[in-house]
Amino acid sequence: MLSRVADSLFWMSRYIERTDGILRMLKINYASSQDDVHEFSWKPVLKTFTYLEEPEANELAYNSRAVLQFMVTDKENPNSVLNIVTHARENARSVQDHITKELWQCLNDYYHTVRDEHLIQLLHREDPVTILDTLIKQGLLYYGITDITMARGEGYAFINIGKFLERSVQSADILDIKFSDVDYDFAKTDATYWKYLLLSISGYELYLKTYRSGFDAKNVVEQIVLNRDFPRSVEYSVSQLHRYFQRLKGDKNVEAYRKIDFMIGKIRSRVKYSTVETIMETGLHAYLQAVKEDLYEVGNAFNQHYFAYS
Amino acid sequence: MQASELLSAYYVDANTWDEMYKDATVREQYKGVVEFMQGLNIEELNRKEEMARNLFMSQGITFTVYSSGEGIEKIFPFDIIPRIITSAEWNYIEKGIKQRLKALNHFLKDVYNDQFIMKDGIVPADMIYSCPHYLREMHGFPVPHDIYVHIAGIDLIRNNDGTFYILEDNLRTPSGVSYMLENREITKRIFPDLLPKNNVRTVTEYPTILHKNLVSLSPRQIAHPTIVVLTPGIYNSAYFEHTTLARLMGVELVEGRDLVVSNHRVFMKTTAGLQQVDVIYRRVDDEFLDPVVFNPDSMLGVAGIMSAYRKGNVAIVNAVGNGVADDKAIYTYVPAMIRYYLNEEPILKNVPTYQLGNPEEREYVFGNMNKMVIKKTNGSGGYGMLMGHMANEEEILKYKEAIIEDPRQYIAQPTINLSSSPCYMNGKLQPRRIDLRPYALCGPDGIQIVPGGLTRVALKEGSLVVNSSQGGGSKDTWVLAG
Repeated sequence: MLSRVADSLFWMSRYIERTDGILRMLKINYASSQDDVHEFSWKPVLKTFTYLEEPEANELAYNSRAVLQFMVTDKENPNSVLNIVTHARENARSVQDHITKELWQCLNDYYHTVRDEHLIQLLHREDPVTILDTLIKQGLLYYGITDITMARGEGYAFINIGKFLERSVQSADILDIKFSDVDYDFAKTDATYWKYLLLSISGYELYLKTYRSGFDAKNVVEQIVLNRDFPRSVEYSVSQLHRYFQRLKGDKNVEAYRKIDFMIGKIRSRVKYSTVETIMETGLHAYLQAVKEDLYEVGNAFNQHYFAYS
Repeated sequence: MQASELLSAYYVDANTWDEMYKDATVREQYKGVVEFMQGLNIEELNRKEEMARNLFMSQGITFTVYSSGEGIEKIFPFDIIPRIITSAEWNYIEKGIKQRLKALNHFLKDVYNDQFIMKDGIVPADMIYSCPHYLREMHGFPVPHDIYVHIAGIDLIRNNDGTFYILEDNLRTPSGVSYMLENREITKRIFPDLLPKNNVRTVTEYPTILHKNLVSLSPRQIAHPTIVVLTPGIYNSAYFEHTTLARLMGVELVEGRDLVVSNHRVFMKTTAGLQQVDVIYRRVDDEFLDPVVFNPDSMLGVAGIMSAYRKGNVAIVNAVGNGVADDKAIYTYVPAMIRYYLNEEPILKNVPTYQLGNPEEREYVFGNMNKMVIKKTNGSGGYGMLMGHMANEEEILKYKEAIIEDPRQYIAQPTINLSSSPCYMNGKLQPRRIDLRPYALCGPDGIQIVPGGLTRVALKEGSLVVNSSQGGGSKDTWVLAG
């Protein structure tokens, strides 16, 4: 496979994963903002998903419509859904001969949907959840079509590598930033707070089933970092990343393969052999930061060894 | 809908061949379609038109126009009424194009090798050497199977008595074939059952034939040679076509930056290291192909590719330097080439063409500017063209000055009345002018032309310019089985 093609598939996939993450966060936080939560603020979202400076973020933090507009349709915001979907589609466009026609059409439709003036109007005037749902569904369609139509070759491996690398970084980010909002003081948080955090990553039901004793910050950390059955946990995402990476093993590019295999294996072991107690000993922020940095290194290694073409 | 309503606005211009009407009755080949359309009401027809637009949009059969930093997706206008060619007309066209291509291929081989045609005084040597697309880099080395033109998109028009004329030979990187294929797919969707009912021949074999031909050019005799389509990239207006062809043939679509030349061989950069490339179907023009040999600023090409080509380590399709054969001044000599190389009379006629380097012909043209079309000899896309009957004094004067400055750069042709064909416009059929571009593929087994092509249509009433860059659209093109 061409290095450029692998690069584009990887980024197409990362961008859609990111879009999905953003949209879910927006939906749940919007619901939370309507729930009369004491001093609801958009700041954690803005910090996770934008490059806004502190004062700018503060200005937006209590205005839901303005945040939605900024995060979904703002052309100037490089991380708006509009811009990210456009990037995903541009990447897909340049590798149309490597993805199925259905997958290309799905992303092309997604692109046209997110640019639809009418939809944008609704986002500002009507119920935003309806619009966010429409967009989220378009993303789910993408996942389904990828699963059902894409051949299980190298391209599929790169798509999944992009997806799970992005997801593991995102899950670590969400947790880190949510907690930074309360200065890592677990006592400062209440049940509603956890509920929305878990809802935003579809982990609420699982939490209720796993822990029957109400909300405890440590349990939340355990589920999001360590739960092997939770598809958004860091542990799950990293092991999937490893699984799809291992499909690239061949008799060519052996050295690069070994190097990256070692890097991912190290992260995987670090997460696998952690417990909530050891995480707390290290300090949540320091722990997550270290995981994230190692993941960024993996991304760089891919750039260097698999995607370099110009 | 009443028969009279759909056709109520239809008329045939004086002195014009109409594809559908003859003496105010519908020609046999159009009857099936006209009857079908009359069975639909305006809402249904409008819905079909809308559906066609949505299909193009959703499949991304679009080109991007960049304005104020933002990309806007546009579709090439598509008219839902097919253009219909009878089997007798097609047989004649097919024979004529095959003959012409055979001669043009001989010509290219000749001018880049022995140059008999110049020595025998059939084509003046200064005509060849003054052509900017004549490339001395192509001199004296064999191309695989002696084929220079692998893919040709020859433009045909019909004058007022229905005779087909060759308008131009596109022998470099003719585009539009994806529209031949996609327009047909759209027709299948908007008019279910209409194609089989009318006995329309299929065009789907095009990518298969092309792929087979490309494989046969591989310099390495291996089971699975590496074939690639070389595109200038996603910002090129024909990008959709490049990706379609790569997808339909199942070959890699590459950009210049994906390729590298080492030891006179071309490689592509893959996740598993370098992989040798055997055949390149390039959609990058000659002058951008190799910055070492041609335009040094080109970012689209591959440094060193010409050396690999000359060594015979890679096949390039179409061959480099073909522009000398589709130059508009050389065009005048194609009938003579057919007689010279094949000892046959040309089947398809040339449009009469005046060489402006010849003082007598120039005088005649200058005296009749309002009946002439002036074209740049190496222009394309409808640019650098003067339509005498539409131009004002000032424009005419400007062209005259330019011609006197450099007569080799221009030719003149009498204005040809293109044939008209029905188009669906606001609930009615209306006549619009059309041309025809069939796509011919030359391989070691000979020349094959899929029965069909791209019909371009001038959507403005009365306009004779069909180029997409000048407000033209396209139609599905049907060739009926005999």
